[in-house]
Amino acid sequence: MRLLIVDDSNMIRTRISRVVQNGGIKGIALAGLARNGQEAVRLARATRPEVVTMDLTMPEMDGIECISALLKLDPTVKILVVSALSDKSTAIQALKLGARGFVAKPFTDEELQMALLEVADVR
Amino acid sequence: MATLNENDLKLFVDSIRNYLKVTTRQEPQITSAYLGSGDIEGFEFNGIVAFSGSHNGHVMVSMPGKLVREILLLQHETDLSDGNLLDAVGEIANTLAGNARKSLGSELQISVPVKMQGTQGMKARVRTRPYVITLRWNHYSAMVCVDMDRRN
Repeated sequence: MRLLIVDDSNMIRTRISRVVQNGGIKGIALAGLARNGQEAVRLARATRPEVVTMDLTMPEMDGIECISALLKLDPTVKILVVSALSDKSTAIQALKLGARGFVAKPFTDEELQMALLEVADVR
Repeated sequence: MATLNENDLKLFVDSIRNYLKVTTRQEPQITSAYLGSGDIEGFEFNGIVAFSGSHNGHVMVSMPGKLVREILLLQHETDLSDGNLLDAVGEIANTLAGNARKSLGSELQISVPVKMQGTQGMKARVRTRPYVITLRWNHYSAMVCVDMDRRN
C-alpha cells in the first residue's frame, strides 16, 4: 500500500514517515509528502496513494477541503486524520466526510502505528 | 470582550505539560503562571497561532534553540537547522491552540502558525496583559504566552 503524508509541519511529516519506515509497518510504503492540500491533490494524481495521513490546519487548502478532493479523485482512498483539532465536532466532521480514523496531536509512535494499521487494514 | 478565567487558562498549562510528556516522555516542571506586564523577554525560537471566531488573540510558544533541538533529537530528527527548529516550535503552538478547542469549543478558529526567530519576537506581539506560563524541561527554560479575550 502506498502512503501519502499531508502536514504543513516538516517535523510531523518526518516523524510519520519514520514510524512507517522504521516502525515495522509491513505492507505500507511511502508514496510522497505534501505540505498542504493543494500539493496533496497534485501528488495523489501522480502517485495514486491508497492510504493518506491528513492534517487539518494547513495553508493554501486545509485538510477538510482536501479530504473531499482526494475522495473525489479516488473514493476508495483510506484517510487517517492526524490533527491538533481534538474537539469532538471536528473529528465527527472529518469522519462524516469519509475519513476512516482520527489521531489527536500530540501522539505517541505506538498510537500512530495502531491507527495506521487499523485504517489501512494491513494487520 | 471578556477575559479568560482561571480554568480557561489552566488548559494551556495542562496542554504544554501533556505535549512534552507525550512527545518526549519527560514531563516539564511548570515554574510559574502569572499575568504579565507586556514587557516580556522571549527566547530565540517563537511559534504563534492567532485565534478568531469565539475568541480573539493568540498563543505563543517561545523556546531556546537547545530545547527545541533536544525535542527533535528525541524524535530521531536529523535536520537541526534553524528553519526546522522554527517549524517545530510553530507545530507546538499549533498543537496547543488546536487542543484548546476541546475545552473552548469548535467556534474557536485557529490560524496556521507564524514563526519568528529572535528574542524580540514575543515582545512585538504581546498586548498589555498577557498570561504567561514559564516552564523548565530537561534543564532548559521556555515560555508559553496566552493573550486572548472571549467575544461576548
